[in-house]
Amino acid sequence: MQQLSSSSPHFDLADQVAPRPRGFGRSNLLGLWTLYLKEVRRFISVITQTVMAPMVTALLFLAVFTLALGRGGSAVEGFPYAVFLAPGLIMMTMLQNAFANTSSSMVISKVQGNIVDVLMPPLSPAELVLGYAGGGLTRGLLVGCATALAMRPFVPFGIHDAFFLLYHAAMASLMLSLLGLIGGIWAEKFDHIAAVTNFIIVPASFLSGTFYAVHNLPGNWVLVAHLNPFFYLIDGFRFGLIGWHDGNLLVGLLLVATVNAILFLVALRMFSRGYKLKP
Amino acid sequence: MSAVRPAASPLGGPSPRRLGRLHWRGLLTLYLREVDRFRRSALEGIGGMMVSNGLFLAVFSVALPADAARSLGLTPLQFLLPGLATYAVLLTAFEYAAFPILFDKLEGMIADLLMSPLSPLETLCGYVAAAVTCSLLVGAVLLVPLGFIVDLPFPDPGRALLVAALGALLFALLGFLTGLWASKWDRYALVETFVVLPLGLLSGTVFTLDALPPTAQAIALGNPVFYVIDGVRHGVAGIGDTGLATAVALLLVLDAVLFLFAWRLLARGWRIKP
Repeated sequence: MQQLSSSSPHFDLADQVAPRPRGFGRSNLLGLWTLYLKEVRRFISVITQTVMAPMVTALLFLAVFTLALGRGGSAVEGFPYAVFLAPGLIMMTMLQNAFANTSSSMVISKVQGNIVDVLMPPLSPAELVLGYAGGGLTRGLLVGCATALAMRPFVPFGIHDAFFLLYHAAMASLMLSLLGLIGGIWAEKFDHIAAVTNFIIVPASFLSGTFYAVHNLPGNWVLVAHLNPFFYLIDGFRFGLIGWHDGNLLVGLLLVATVNAILFLVALRMFSRGYKLKP
Repeated sequence: MSAVRPAASPLGGPSPRRLGRLHWRGLLTLYLREVDRFRRSALEGIGGMMVSNGLFLAVFSVALPADAARSLGLTPLQFLLPGLATYAVLLTAFEYAAFPILFDKLEGMIADLLMSPLSPLETLCGYVAAAVTCSLLVGAVLLVPLGFIVDLPFPDPGRALLVAALGALLFALLGFLTGLWASKWDRYALVETFVVLPLGLLSGTVFTLDALPPTAQAIALGNPVFYVIDGVRHGVAGIGDTGLATAVALLLVLDAVLFLFAWRLLARGWRIKP
């Protein structure tokens, strides 16, 4: 700009070329990073609501369920009830918050119209999906860490297997981020996404082995539980934390990766076709 | 605000409608507007509550050791349902009192209310009465059909209704104060997480008092929600730890204190007038 200012004594025509656009290679890494930072700062600026509140709710659930269900030191699968419950509650909190992050971001942007600010920049569909999902992933992991640290003084758990712990925490946050993104793109108003949260996400995160060992369920419900990807997320995470699992661990590892790949492709397709996003 | 009330114009022309000591029609209008706001989102509101309560019931019926409730002569579901329904009533009363005032404030629509010839008392009554009505409706929808399914005896429904209404009033007033105080949604979440949820959940909603260690029992006895849940359980399931007089007296005093406080804040225009 300084070169174009007329106060310059040596004003030269050669300086009048238009500013060149920033070049980037196959992938707009700076753009992706910017979208990711926007998503993270969005929830950090209301951290009471997005991190503290879920953490406190999980602690209250731990207290209430331990008081109601674990009286007299009754054990579940050889563990004190609080120890059995803690991994389930941490995972449940991660699932719900990862979903809330991407879905609320997308629906608010659509309702308020500022989604154009995300669609106009030179970001490819893959970069959009990664930026949004990265924000949800970060929120899920952050809430998970906060909840685990808050529970640790009351419940003695260690790390049994770091790989399973991290893998399932990351896969769970990613899966629900992608689901939230897909739900957010599909929803046309807040009511729609509230309905998905209330009628699908919360029940699924409640009934997939958070509070009880699934093999104690009556009859066919065991089979139903084993077809539910949420069950493998909770089960694998619980194995990582306290070393007890209910289902097949290898099936869990492969299934959650497959589900994530499919959800990624669905979200990618929605962005590239502009489904409910572009006129 | 009473100075704003219109007097008959001395110059002739259309004279404003005369109001008595209480502006009944304005109060009714505000009340109906608030109830209508609830009606428009009733499906999600009631549906969401039904799902979350159904989830609690499902989890507890799989995982609850039956001996605790059975020692009281009830099945686990008979014990849980009144507690969960009451908790839903209190949460709804809080939300439906806090949400409208905060939403109107943030969106600037509060001016419509401040301009109308409603006194602070009438404004407060309108908001709070609507929240109490809607919350009792949510409680009835949850409790009555499921109550017949799990075979609750309903020995004294009037008692349950009285205590639930007083409890709902308490949380509606708490919600109204939160709505007045909060300057953004984050603050509302703060009160809900750190005041309403602990009061509601650590109060005998899902466990009996004797599950707690002695110090925690004393704390629970200082929690007004305990008396609400106990009173409702007394009225619909026939068991309870405290007398009706204690519960009603305690709730009436708390309601009166919060009501006067909210009324004075509203009259001063705290956080809603420049």
